[in-house]
Amino acid sequence: MLQIASLVSGYDALAVLHDVSLHVKESEAVAIIGANGAGKTSLVRAIAGLNRAMRGAIAMHGADMTHLPAHARPAHGIASLLENRRLFGEFTIEENLRLAETAGRKLRPGRTKFEWNDVCDLFPIVRERGATRVELLSGGQQQMVAVARCLLLQPDLLILDEPSTGLAPKVVKDILEVLGALRDRGMAILLVEQNVGIAASLTERAYVMSLGRIVHEVAGEEWRNFGTDERLAKAYLGGGREP
Amino acid sequence: MLLGLVSQSLLSGVTNGLIYALVGFGIAAIFRGAHIANVMQGEFSVVGAVVVDVLLVQIGMPYWAAAIIGCLSGAALGALIDVVFIRRLVAQKAPDDSYLLFTIGVSITISAAVLFLFGREGHLLPPIGSGQIFIVLDAVVQEHALWLIGISVILMFALRYFYRRTTLGMRMSAAAIDPDGAATIGIDVRAMRTLTFVLGGVLGAIAGILITPIIPVSYMVGLPLTLKGFSAAILGGLTNPLGAVAGGLVIGILEALVVMQMSSAYKDVVTFSGLILIMIFMPRGLLGRAGRAGG
Ligand SMILES: Nc1ncnc2c1ncn2[C@@H]1O[C@H](COP(=O)(O)OP(=O)(O)OP(=O)(O)O)[C@@H](O)[C@H]1O
Ligand SMILES: [Mg+2]
Repeated sequence: MLQIASLVSGYDALAVLHDVSLHVKESEAVAIIGANGAGKTSLVRAIAGLNRAMRGAIAMHGADMTHLPAHARPAHGIASLLENRRLFGEFTIEENLRLAETAGRKLRPGRTKFEWNDVCDLFPIVRERGATRVELLSGGQQQMVAVARCLLLQPDLLILDEPSTGLAPKVVKDILEVLGALRDRGMAILLVEQNVGIAASLTERAYVMSLGRIVHEVAGEEWRNFGTDERLAKAYLGGGREP
Repeated sequence: MLLGLVSQSLLSGVTNGLIYALVGFGIAAIFRGAHIANVMQGEFSVVGAVVVDVLLVQIGMPYWAAAIIGCLSGAALGALIDVVFIRRLVAQKAPDDSYLLFTIGVSITISAAVLFLFGREGHLLPPIGSGQIFIVLDAVVQEHALWLIGISVILMFALRYFYRRTTLGMRMSAAAIDPDGAATIGIDVRAMRTLTFVLGGVLGAIAGILITPIIPVSYMVGLPLTLKGFSAAILGGLTNPLGAVAGGLVIGILEALVVMQMSSAYKDVVTFSGLILIMIFMPRGLLGRAGRAGG
């Protein structure tokens, strides 16, 4: 579904991603892991269309979107949850969601994946506090709203940049539960995580990034053990960081 | 007699205050939608008024047609400035001060063009309506002043509704609050900025058309209008049409009281001192936090 081939991308003239190739199939949950500065966020921004592709190609459902402007990409079925959520703080929960609903992808009637009510059922806060300004919510609540906003774009692929950062373990658990439920409903997920344990619990496969390149691909048994295998984690993530 | 003096100067304070607010609307719209302090806002008014003057007085078009074309010329100028210049500055990640310099430059250029094409002398537009005069509380009220007050208030509510309730208005705000976040949910950030300048241009032209029966338009009035408009908008919180009206009225009435009590020579000294005090004690403007967000 998502196909990236030999992508070179970065900031202005500075390339920070070198020759990145990866793919995500329908209904597949894939992780991208790597140490600080490995280029994970830069990759998400390139897929979202916020960073220019200098070489290589990005395609979704076989349609090339390498040079498509960012605002035209949700129509191809991607929804990106950027670092720091990027909600509109002075707007209410409902306004944030309606903006995505109206500006995002339009599917033919009857084919809509997430109706307003589905989203309310998944995220009770939308019903309970819909008229509250987003800036007044806790980090965890904001993260929920950010995921809800992505769903209203009717995506086939949900891309998340470190959704667990800065949140309490209990909140992380809630978010993982929601993401797990979405995966089980067939939503493809591309999850950027530094926390290997979290990544392995949600995904079946992972790409390891280092210095702007994909240096390894892990799946199956190896991936399930990745979080607990000190040697592997050290080799790929560098340093003795906590998994 | 005294009642007449007081109500007359209050009325002129309100009228002037709303003139400042009208200019402030466009400044607030562009600051809200593009985060640019637009120093050429007064020139939109000059261009709008000059176009109407040419069409109405020199060509003899009906008023409504001339006014519509005047507004369209403001829209076109706004779009031109964004598409030809601002877009390039944004693409090159220009620092904030370059926008300030750029709009100062455009302001001087337009004022020179108006001097060249239109001459030195000021032109007054005919007032809206039949030029009737009413007496209210011993004060003389021109019919045009009533139109100006009415249209300002309607515009204020219309803008408020536009930003808070319409999809387009909310998209324009969202694109300015967080361009990357807006783009990832499908909002065309570049188009929203162009529309912001179109809106600023139309508001500027409307202000010019309403002001020019009172203040003659000439190559010199753009900058003073911008300054007063900025004062009104800043006082109100800089992004909020309601705030611009509150700010404009405070300045206009303060000026009128100073003129009545002392002399017009002290007008600017006293009002700007008052402004400084308000900004020190209420740095977010008269309407506070709500003034920034509320629209
Ligand atoms: N705005 C920017 N301009 C220029 N270079 C940048 C910019 N943002 C990031 N970089 C560089 O790109 C490289 C990759 O950074 P990136 O943010 O993609 O890493 P990351 O894997 O997301 O790290 P983290 O785990 O800390 O979020 C780094 O070398 C960084 O210095
Ligand atoms: Mg990152």
